[in-house]
Amino acid sequence: MKILAAVDIGNSTTEVCLAEENDAGKIRFLSSTSVFTTGLKGTADNTTGILAALEEATVQADITLNQISHIRINEAAPVIGGAAMETLTQTIVTESSMLGHNPKTPAGMGTGYGKTILIENLPSIANQESYIVVISSETDYEEAAKIINQHSNIIGAILQLDEAVLVYNRLDKKIPIIDEVRDIHKIKEGIETAIEAAPPGQSVGMLSNPYGIATLLKLTPEETLQITPIAKSLIGAKSAVVMKTPWRNLAPPQKIGSISIKGDKNIDVDFSHGAGTIAKAIEAAGNIRDITGEANTNVGNMLEKARASMTDLAGYGENPQIRDLFAVDTFAPVAISGALAGETSLEKAIAVAAMVTAGRLPMEAIAQGLSKKTGIYTTVTGVEPVMATLGALTTPGAGFPLAILDLGGGSTDAAIIDENGTVKSVSMAGAGELVTLMIQSQLGLASRITAENIKKYPAAKVESMFHIRLENGDTLFYEEGIDPRFFGSVVVLAPGGMIKIEEERPIEKIVRVRQEAKQGVFVNNAIRAIRKLNIQAKHIILVGGSAEDFEIPGFLSTAFADMGMVCGKGNIRGTEGSRNAVATGLIMSYAGGV
Amino acid sequence: MHHDEALVALVTRIVLEQLQNTPSRSQNPKEVVIGVGPAYGTGGAKTINDLSHSAVLAEIKAGIEEEGMDFSVVQVFKSSDVAVIGKEAADLSGSGLGIGIQSKGTAIIHQTDLQILSNIELFPQAPLLTLAHYRQIGKNAAKYAKGESVTPIATQNDPMIRAAYQVKAALMHIKETEKADRNKPTQHYVAQSATPLMKGGQN
Repeated sequence: MKILAAVDIGNSTTEVCLAEENDAGKIRFLSSTSVFTTGLKGTADNTTGILAALEEATVQADITLNQISHIRINEAAPVIGGAAMETLTQTIVTESSMLGHNPKTPAGMGTGYGKTILIENLPSIANQESYIVVISSETDYEEAAKIINQHSNIIGAILQLDEAVLVYNRLDKKIPIIDEVRDIHKIKEGIETAIEAAPPGQSVGMLSNPYGIATLLKLTPEETLQITPIAKSLIGAKSAVVMKTPWRNLAPPQKIGSISIKGDKNIDVDFSHGAGTIAKAIEAAGNIRDITGEANTNVGNMLEKARASMTDLAGYGENPQIRDLFAVDTFAPVAISGALAGETSLEKAIAVAAMVTAGRLPMEAIAQGLSKKTGIYTTVTGVEPVMATLGALTTPGAGFPLAILDLGGGSTDAAIIDENGTVKSVSMAGAGELVTLMIQSQLGLASRITAENIKKYPAAKVESMFHIRLENGDTLFYEEGIDPRFFGSVVVLAPGGMIKIEEERPIEKIVRVRQEAKQGVFVNNAIRAIRKLNIQAKHIILVGGSAEDFEIPGFLSTAFADMGMVCGKGNIRGTEGSRNAVATGLIMSYAGGV
Repeated sequence: MHHDEALVALVTRIVLEQLQNTPSRSQNPKEVVIGVGPAYGTGGAKTINDLSHSAVLAEIKAGIEEEGMDFSVVQVFKSSDVAVIGKEAADLSGSGLGIGIQSKGTAIIHQTDLQILSNIELFPQAPLLTLAHYRQIGKNAAKYAKGESVTPIATQNDPMIRAAYQVKAALMHIKETEKADRNKPTQHYVAQSATPLMKGGQN
């Protein structure tokens, strides 16, 4: 009898399984474990993690480490993925021409038109002029309300402090008020200005419409054309101010840039045509040798960023070559340059994932190190996609022709095996990391860890000390009471307990962004990968870290079911879920005499 | 079985008295109650950071009002402990949210479903609290009452504060405790009812 150990070192986890071979050559699986990979994949640091995993597995199997007679380490696929994102449009305002934001508590509603005037300079004698009064932090709300009440020709107010409701509550005649305008000193006097505050639950209608602005400020057709970016950036704002100052968009139409794909066919493609066109070009190029971006353009910079992140990971000296690229159209809230109240505008953005292939990872060195430490015969063997398909075959209900989709962090790998045992595989750029990047930028989150948490766990809102409302509308009660620091917050439900989302984002938006990012990346990329294999699969088994996700397998099952294929999360050996496919495959390949 | 008639009568009387003295919880769901300590508004009427008690109260009220909520002010006599004051305010509050504030300026945001020694936000370093902080405390309490996602208030933390203010803090706390009376009922002062915010979609 012989005891075998199989080790699969991944980017994030190291998986081990133990099996025994009896004298008749029959294999029986004993145990399997998964630990975090120590150090970068393919480096000597991995040994610590492998030893920890082996230790755990031997305890589970009730044997000792020195009973193991043979360790097999997987020849890891030398694929490294990176992701980057760049906004393609930009809004710049000049001369305080525009104000539009979502103060938490604006007051009043309706539209008005008048000339700006500082509250200190209001004429004591009533005149026919309509005024929009500008109130800096030097005037408090009591004083401001008193002065406004003395002037019947004030039709709107702009406040520096967060006091709109306080002023509004003290007014005899109600007017729209906009507050939290940080750079109020930049507003000039005597400027023709339109103001709008939206009714509760709505956003501004007049000032987000170019013709609305034209109506209020009496603009010419040329001026209306120029004001369009302002109207666009006010869409969705709860309150807005537009001032008639000489205005022109200082931002030259930005050069988005193009990429050159060198492959079976050389193709240049302009990024401004969007992700769909890029995907077609990538597909048409066939086997790609390298992709470069136009220097000093958004795209060029973005590809450099992605390349740099991969260079760090791989520890290369020189520039690695990009073998695949996956782009997604997205958007990002970007601060408007020159804005007075920290306004942001939703700008068009594009996110890309790129992939490089490394040389052969130094797995032999790891094997030798392990052998030295444990005294156990260790070999490096088996190509990752082949091992993964072999392992995936142990899923109950799986049959030929069988494809696997390995949903990882940096890349999505696909492989297909037919009845003859022939395996064909591809690696595609774009996976979990790209999803994290999109969540972080679309929600405007400060920390990548927050985005990672949102990606991994369902969200909920803590509604009282004793219950939370889950994102699907269900209520969950807690007998012990909830930690008060979560009160009123949006949280994600991690296995270790709740994690608070520090940024104030509505739960509906969090869920929508999360689901769209996952579908945009994984569904599109999975279809792309299966198509590239160019063999009709009947069964598609999902393995890898992202297959453990609580909703990605569902999205993929739905998408492939519509195409007439069986697709679902694997259940390796009927017990392991989507984990341990490669390690299981290593043991099986041994049994098969490979 | 022997009954101590006198004891039963005493207990009954105290319980009845307590019941009578217990102000009932407000029915206004928009209300946040501000509870002030037994000595609030007396003895110089300033916090340890030299802010006048009336200004502090005005800022907290303004914070609540800016969020479109209502406030009441009560004075708690049964204890000088900020947690007890805050919890009492929360128990009386229509929204279940209360703010407790001691004469020296220490403040707490409390919620009626919590244990006394628990809290939602505590601002223990009164010498570092400014009027802007008190406005924020009012705003945050109102946001909790509305069920909004709230960002806790950033305050300064100075490890030397305790040493620098220990004597003054102790004196102010002693003064507050002297005014405390376990049997004295909580007193209602101001109740500002619904400000005429948008009704039926009209301005």
